[in-house]
Amino acid sequence: MRNTIVSIIAILLGLIAGGLLMLAIGSNPIEGYNYLLQGALINIERIGNTLATATPLIFTGLAVAFAFRTGLFNIGAAGQMLAGGLAATAIALTFEFSRPVMLILMILGGLLAGALFALIPGILKARFNVHEVVSTIMMNWIAYWSVYYIVPGYFKGPSLETESQKLPDEYTLRAPFLSDMFDGSYINYGIFLGIIAVIIIAFIIDKTTLGFELKAVGFNRHAAEYAGMRVNRNIILSMLISGALAGLGGVALYTGNASSMQIGLLPSQGYDGIAVALLGANNPIGVFFAAILFGILYSGTGFMNAMTEIPPELANTIIAIIIYFAATSVLIHRIIDKVKRSKANRPEHKKGEA
Amino acid sequence: MKKRRFGLALSLVLAAGTLLSACGKDEGNGAEGGKDKKDALKVGMVTDAGTIDDKSFNQGTWEGILQASKELGVQEKYLKPGGTTEADYLKEIGNLYDAGYKFIVTPGFKFETAVFQAQDKYKDANFVIIDGSPNDGKNDPVVADNTVSIFFAEHQAGFVAGVATALELKEGEAGFIGGMEIPPVQKFNWGFQQGVAYANENLGTKITIKKENVVYQGSFDNVAAGQQLAAQMFDKGVNVIFAAAGGVGVGAINEAKTRVKSGKEVWMVGVDVDQYADGIYEGDKSVILTSAMKKIDHASFDMVKRFLNKDFPGGETLIYDAANDGVGIPEENPNLSDETVKQVKEVYEKLKAGEIEVSAEQGDLFK
Amino acid sequence: MSYVVEMFNIRKEFPGIVANDNISLSLKKGEIHALLGENGAGKSTLMGVLFGMYQPERGIIKVREKEVRITNPNVANQLGIGMVHQHFKLVENFTVTENIILGSEPLKGLVLDIDKAAKRIEELSKHYGLNVDPYAKIEDISVGMQQRVEIMKMLYREAEVLIFDEPTAVLTPAEIDELMKIMRNLIKEGKSIIIITHKLKEIKAVADRCTVIRRGKSIGTVNVAEASEESLAEMMVGRHVNFKVDKKESTPGDTVLKIDSVSAKNNRKVMALKDFSLEVRRGEIVGIAGVDGNGQSELVEAITGLRKVESGNILINGEDITNAPIRHRIEKGIGHIPEDRHKRGLVLDYRLDSNMVLEVYNKRPFAKNGLLNFGEIRAYAENIFKNFDVRSGEGGASLARTLSGGNQQKAIIGREIELDPDLLIAVQPTRGLDVGSIEYIHKRLIEHRDKGKAVLLVSLELDEVLKLSDRIAIINNGELVGIVQASETNENEVGLMMAGISKERSV
Repeated sequence: MRNTIVSIIAILLGLIAGGLLMLAIGSNPIEGYNYLLQGALINIERIGNTLATATPLIFTGLAVAFAFRTGLFNIGAAGQMLAGGLAATAIALTFEFSRPVMLILMILGGLLAGALFALIPGILKARFNVHEVVSTIMMNWIAYWSVYYIVPGYFKGPSLETESQKLPDEYTLRAPFLSDMFDGSYINYGIFLGIIAVIIIAFIIDKTTLGFELKAVGFNRHAAEYAGMRVNRNIILSMLISGALAGLGGVALYTGNASSMQIGLLPSQGYDGIAVALLGANNPIGVFFAAILFGILYSGTGFMNAMTEIPPELANTIIAIIIYFAATSVLIHRIIDKVKRSKANRPEHKKGEA
Repeated sequence: MKKRRFGLALSLVLAAGTLLSACGKDEGNGAEGGKDKKDALKVGMVTDAGTIDDKSFNQGTWEGILQASKELGVQEKYLKPGGTTEADYLKEIGNLYDAGYKFIVTPGFKFETAVFQAQDKYKDANFVIIDGSPNDGKNDPVVADNTVSIFFAEHQAGFVAGVATALELKEGEAGFIGGMEIPPVQKFNWGFQQGVAYANENLGTKITIKKENVVYQGSFDNVAAGQQLAAQMFDKGVNVIFAAAGGVGVGAINEAKTRVKSGKEVWMVGVDVDQYADGIYEGDKSVILTSAMKKIDHASFDMVKRFLNKDFPGGETLIYDAANDGVGIPEENPNLSDETVKQVKEVYEKLKAGEIEVSAEQGDLFK
Repeated sequence: MSYVVEMFNIRKEFPGIVANDNISLSLKKGEIHALLGENGAGKSTLMGVLFGMYQPERGIIKVREKEVRITNPNVANQLGIGMVHQHFKLVENFTVTENIILGSEPLKGLVLDIDKAAKRIEELSKHYGLNVDPYAKIEDISVGMQQRVEIMKMLYREAEVLIFDEPTAVLTPAEIDELMKIMRNLIKEGKSIIIITHKLKEIKAVADRCTVIRRGKSIGTVNVAEASEESLAEMMVGRHVNFKVDKKESTPGDTVLKIDSVSAKNNRKVMALKDFSLEVRRGEIVGIAGVDGNGQSELVEAITGLRKVESGNILINGEDITNAPIRHRIEKGIGHIPEDRHKRGLVLDYRLDSNMVLEVYNKRPFAKNGLLNFGEIRAYAENIFKNFDVRSGEGGASLARTLSGGNQQKAIIGREIELDPDLLIAVQPTRGLDVGSIEYIHKRLIEHRDKGKAVLLVSLELDEVLKLSDRIAIINNGELVGIVQASETNENEVGLMMAGISKERSV
């Protein structure tokens, strides 16, 4: 409850700051935000696109949040996405199965590849105490250059040098009924995978002994060790799950929203996942809504640009400001504490039982 | 207490926003552009990865549109997509279309699949794709009647730059730094090598290119790597580097500037646009010998102009080459002697007339 | 008679509680005034008000008979009031001098004049008998010495009134004596001291007057000379306190824990436990006595599995567990009340009831097929809270962090005893707790013994070891000096052995 309020305040502050910037460049913030919302939500196609934009962010946000619960900072979601996307793409371009079997294989392949890419930093952390921030960032570049080598080498498209072949339609997460329902949007099964992931992760964190252990390790690894929990195993496990989630994000991005892999790019969703997790207070449900919000912002920017005189560079700055504020929720927590304290100090506001 | 009041104020502002927005819907266009532009053609552009001032595709295309805005009175707008997937591009094309921009220019081959879909989806809009042709990623290109696809003869641009470089330096060693190993970049490279070879054979120059000095960095944005590559080449005795590599090239140019300032004599050859200004290290002296140009701005300006003249070559694939002055070196080359300029001009005329053939294939050239 | 500090009718509230309710205190010039109360009675809050860390809702403060408003610690400093906090505020890799001048650096032109400061510190040190080396680095000196650096900080800033917040909690017996001596020196030089404590012995030893508070209310101020430890304790707790531990003669049974010439390294990779052997049997409490840092922690960690054993064997009920995982040891019947309840004992950000199943969350009935059963967990925790008198704001739903130290400790002890371990290892079980809690915890440990279980008690408080143990093993520099029967020894003998002086008569 309190986290929700904090996040909402963070967003509002972000919107105000962004609005001030619009005023400063002589644009009307109300008009700007209006077009931003319209761009994201005005018709069913745009709603579909917004949800699809949010989908990879749900995964990366969950990945970062889950690792964070165990006291780990997984900055390598981008690389894990690439690994997951590449695995799924490679499977789809190499084998032939019926659509359901193929989709399941692609999803599993992406999940495993992402997990594998996070496993290495996990082991390095557990065994040699190598800080995961360093090792996951390095894994990002390993993924980046692996894609750079493998895609043109083995899966090159007939016309595009920097992209893999396009996946056949039946081997993507796109579904005709969804596209029709959303009036031609590129929304796909990824959003359902995302919702399922949110539910499963929330369940693991809150209801299982595994979640109990992982959180204990995250809050206080000394106490977890004292209580007989295997701290190193938990670190590795947490990274595995986190990486698997990011890998699924890659599957959603490269075989759902897109239908080919591009070389020379680290997906920005990897780092955005950190902001999503922060805004979502590392809570799966919170992450879901934070991702949707980011989806709205990212989808709506273009239309705001097209309809107003706000230059694209500034539009991106405005979005960045909103995100920046959203990520400052820690500060807001403190301010609320302070307000509460000064309130509580005034006798007339005394409550019965705290 | 304070917090509650604050929240109330906020919700009021938001509510007001929603109300106002309802009336604001149709006024959106009125605010922008001059009165005389109200009925003017609205020309939109979606940028590729990189900024609008990338000294390359985005900038070239945009400058052509700006020229059209100035001379032909069209309204212009560019949008920057959030990513580089087909979906990202399509989204921005949709935004332009929904905002009334129905003449849309897209720079770069990455737009091929997006334009392929857009030309069907938005039949009453017109598309120009530069350096690519619409396709579905599998089959042969389909240029619909509302679309024009434009290519450049990069090998010819590289050739002319190679001839000019050889003529000016007479003897020495040249190198090449590419961005990604993709056809447009490769063609620059191969053309450049052929140009140097042509000058060596026919015009008495002695410029060598070694295999190890022809490299592709692998990206278009790693400035530091460009600087390093250039430093290595200069250390190995290379006198001039042709960099067709976006930001990587910027790094190489920076390295050259540093060396020239410390008294060494090294040169760079620019790419895509006239990069003379980027190479200035002191006053108006630049390390850019010349540039292998693709006149992208001509292309985008041309297309707008022909559209207004009801002469839009919809469904066609156009090649901009020496024959229609679509490629070449800049008009002004302060670092080239008059003699060199004269000789290059002669070579260019032969190229135009078809007397010289430049191959767009690797053949037995490096990389 | 002149008062340096007078506080009248101070009232301070925090959300949900009144920490200070109408409390008055007056400090005479040149006296040591003890502020006595249980944990959470409001002692630290009252001193926080005096030191400018909290603003009271009501009440007046006078310093040297002038009414003042102390809005922050800087104001307090200017008024000549200084405070030595329980947790020192020192920069580890700075020297003593650098730490002392931090914030009021003497300058020579634009350059720091360290030498001048060091010289002054040396003079002050000599004058008050502090024996501080101005050039030593904080990380290299003992806790007792660090405390003196804190005292020096106040003297350097010319404080007249010195507040000590539980100063002896971190000190060894010898260091405590040393501190008392320093306090008396300070008084002789005209300083005035307030000492926050709940240790009656120290009050008797050093204080002139004593103000007792209980649950935020003033109980009274007495002349220490006219009061006994018993009467002070009664004022503090509000009822009669039994100082003697009722304890039957032990009837030791089978050996539960057998430590066979175990060696272990400390965190700096130096051998800190050397060929240590000890047995603990059912129905007895074995105390480990020793000065802090002589291998006690390493011994406990070797038994519980938190530290690798270099050589030797550890057996529980005959089973070799030298290299067994921690969980296995817990399952074999080792309960552990850890030395540092915040570091090891609790997940502070977990709810209290989750903390009660920290070792057994994955066992039935708390979990089935990997799913937690919160109902069972809650019921189990409630039972512990009831049995061990754990008080918290919202019961099991409170975050462990929000509990007072005493209640946190009672919760840990409850959790470990509830597991009914064959061997209960209690390390500093009453550290920083008030008389009431100590009495209660001691009773519980003896009960556990009387159930026929083994208890290994590690404490730095020699009193406690002497009072509770049946046998006492003395450790010095990682080696066993000797084992004595508690009934046949005294403080002097054990104190000598703690210093490493062995005796022939070992049991």
